[in-house]
Amino acid sequence: MAATASRSEAVKKLQRREAWRRRIPLLPALLFTIVVTQVPFLFSLWYSLTEWKIVPPEPRQFVGVDNYVDLFDSRFFREAVWTSILMTVFAVLLSVILGTLIALLLDRKFFGQGFVRTLLITPFLIMPVVAGLVWKNQMYSATFGVFNWVIEGLGFDRIEFVSRWPLWSIVIVLVWQWTPFMMLIILAGLQGQSASVLEAARVDGASPRATFFQITLPHLRPYLELGVLLGSIYLIQVFDHVAVITGGGPGSTNVPYFVFQRSIGGGWQFGLASAYSIVVVVASIIIATFGLRVLSGLLEGEDPA
Amino acid sequence: MAEVRYENASRIYPGSEIPAVNELNLDIDDGELLVLVGPSGSGKSTALRMLAGLEFVDQGSVYIGENDVTLSPPQDRDIAMVFQNYALYPSMTVAANMGFALKQQKVPKAERMERVREAARILDLEEYLDRKPKNLSGGQRQRVAMGRAIVRKPQVFLMDEPLSNLDAKLRVQTRTELADLQARLGVTTVYVTHDQVEAMTMGHRVAVLKDGVLQQADRPRTLYSKPVNRFVAGFIGSPAMNLIDTDVTSEGVAIGTLGLTLDPSVSSALTAQDDREVTVGVRPEHLKLSTAGLPGEVTVVEELGSESFVHVTVEHRGEPLVLVVRDAGETTTTRGDIVHVDVAGPTHVFENGGARLGE
Ligand SMILES: Nc1ncnc2c1ncn2[C@@H]1O[C@H](COP(=O)(O)OP(=O)(O)OP(=O)(O)O)[C@@H](O)[C@H]1O
Ligand SMILES: [Mg+2]
Repeated sequence: MAATASRSEAVKKLQRREAWRRRIPLLPALLFTIVVTQVPFLFSLWYSLTEWKIVPPEPRQFVGVDNYVDLFDSRFFREAVWTSILMTVFAVLLSVILGTLIALLLDRKFFGQGFVRTLLITPFLIMPVVAGLVWKNQMYSATFGVFNWVIEGLGFDRIEFVSRWPLWSIVIVLVWQWTPFMMLIILAGLQGQSASVLEAARVDGASPRATFFQITLPHLRPYLELGVLLGSIYLIQVFDHVAVITGGGPGSTNVPYFVFQRSIGGGWQFGLASAYSIVVVVASIIIATFGLRVLSGLLEGEDPA
Repeated sequence: MAEVRYENASRIYPGSEIPAVNELNLDIDDGELLVLVGPSGSGKSTALRMLAGLEFVDQGSVYIGENDVTLSPPQDRDIAMVFQNYALYPSMTVAANMGFALKQQKVPKAERMERVREAARILDLEEYLDRKPKNLSGGQRQRVAMGRAIVRKPQVFLMDEPLSNLDAKLRVQTRTELADLQARLGVTTVYVTHDQVEAMTMGHRVAVLKDGVLQQADRPRTLYSKPVNRFVAGFIGSPAMNLIDTDVTSEGVAIGTLGLTLDPSVSSALTAQDDREVTVGVRPEHLKLSTAGLPGEVTVVEELGSESFVHVTVEHRGEPLVLVVRDAGETTTTRGDIVHVDVAGPTHVFENGGARLGE
């Protein structure tokens, strides 16, 4: 009895030592990561608990959670949150759906496949500011825009897209930029699918539709999740597009732009702005975690037999 | 259940000059298990996939039962296929995998479950019905792939090297089970393998392919005792038949100093052809070590327990030649011994071009 006890003790000790042997080489990297990522976060956290305005810059006062209380009382902040949610959800969903459709089209052999793929990827490689400018001036503009040129050619009146649908003007550009990214991820997924599984489905008499929904889509699940996750994390922080296209016009001020307005954009309330950004970080983490759970649950629902 | 017929069926892959399957003519009876065998790249898979509808038939036609299916898509052919890598649907449970085809046919759920359970019982898979394929062993996956095929009760089973991913022991066991299952179900089956032992043990008939051309389709025993050409003679049988190129003299043929008299049917075929050089084939079990005969030195002794194969280097036409001779399991022959080899059974003679001469 005693022998087995001491033996399991020894095993535990060995396991502990093994665990540390693996951790130690990672420590410097971990420390570096903490310094680079967590320290600024802690600073923000500290600022968010102070009242800090540019005039007068000092003294900074510790005000506890006052900023947070103000923030949730603020109608403008709630609106910005809502705008952020709409913007992210629409942009991510539309780009995932479009990206999947295009990937399905590209996932068959045709002449010039590589060339077409490269062409399709370019929007993703364009700088957000440039994309915003191009769309604002070349596409949406009432005077110079391609859309209005077409609309007028068809005999209708010109439309001020940006002021009429500020949120959608931004979402469309985001979708335009992010569809190629989603397409790439989904395409990788499609090409990783075993050819014989698809042949088995054909022999089993599955229609293309059934094959897509019952075999291809479940296979693509991790790829879709990855696309949604990366897309959400990035798109919740979108700033450039808002700044360039609408400049925060009605209904298009998302949280990052709101934070900017309240701090260096003229509000000069750094404490409050820090509180906003902390809320966004926490919200993103929650959304990313729960969003994925929900999505997995939806796709997992496979009927047995 | 149905017969299967290939009529001058060819497949020429785009961008290739030579057909992967060349004017294949083959009749497969109802309920028969036909094995397609041949070396790698001989067109076995292509021939099977032409029957499945996964590969286009460029010339000729393919029939299942009375129907010309040459241009039908796979789903209209009422066939079930077992793939080499099993091709199970990774996101579905074993039960869903087996029921998938029935679900596509809109078979009611209760009946579907019933048939899946029935197949699972036959294949001993009942306790795994709720698992995903990735949580199964190789042998279990293989059985699920079989289950997926038998649930459908199709006209024809098509199997492309279904056992090649199993270890040697399981492969031998599974091949017996599979042959037994096929006999019980009585479904016409086309089975592809590159393993000639598998072909001989399982097939009611075996079709040997080489470079897309059918060489011979016969019962295993006929294939073994009357190979139609030099290729089949060398391909079927393990260890392979001894094939010796030799000259024809007035007395017949000779291996080294060992003269062989030719069967009258062979000699008459020879005179008709006026062929001076032929290939003589003798299976290892039709050679024996004896006191008289062709002298040679033992270079290798393969002891398999029940029998041994002795490799003897003899002199033939002034050059060394290795003959493989079967000997008893408890042989006393060892490497370096000087022995004598004699013929103790039928021999085969092939003309220069490879075709069999005589009976
Ligand atoms: N998709 C394809 N395109 C072009 N050529 C092909 C294609 N598939 C097979 N081939 C060629 O056709 C010939 C027959 O191939 P097949 O796959 O039928 O051989 P196999 O007898 O099944 O061989 P293995 O035992 O290696 O599976 C080969 O020469 C191969 O290179
Ligand atoms: Mg093959």
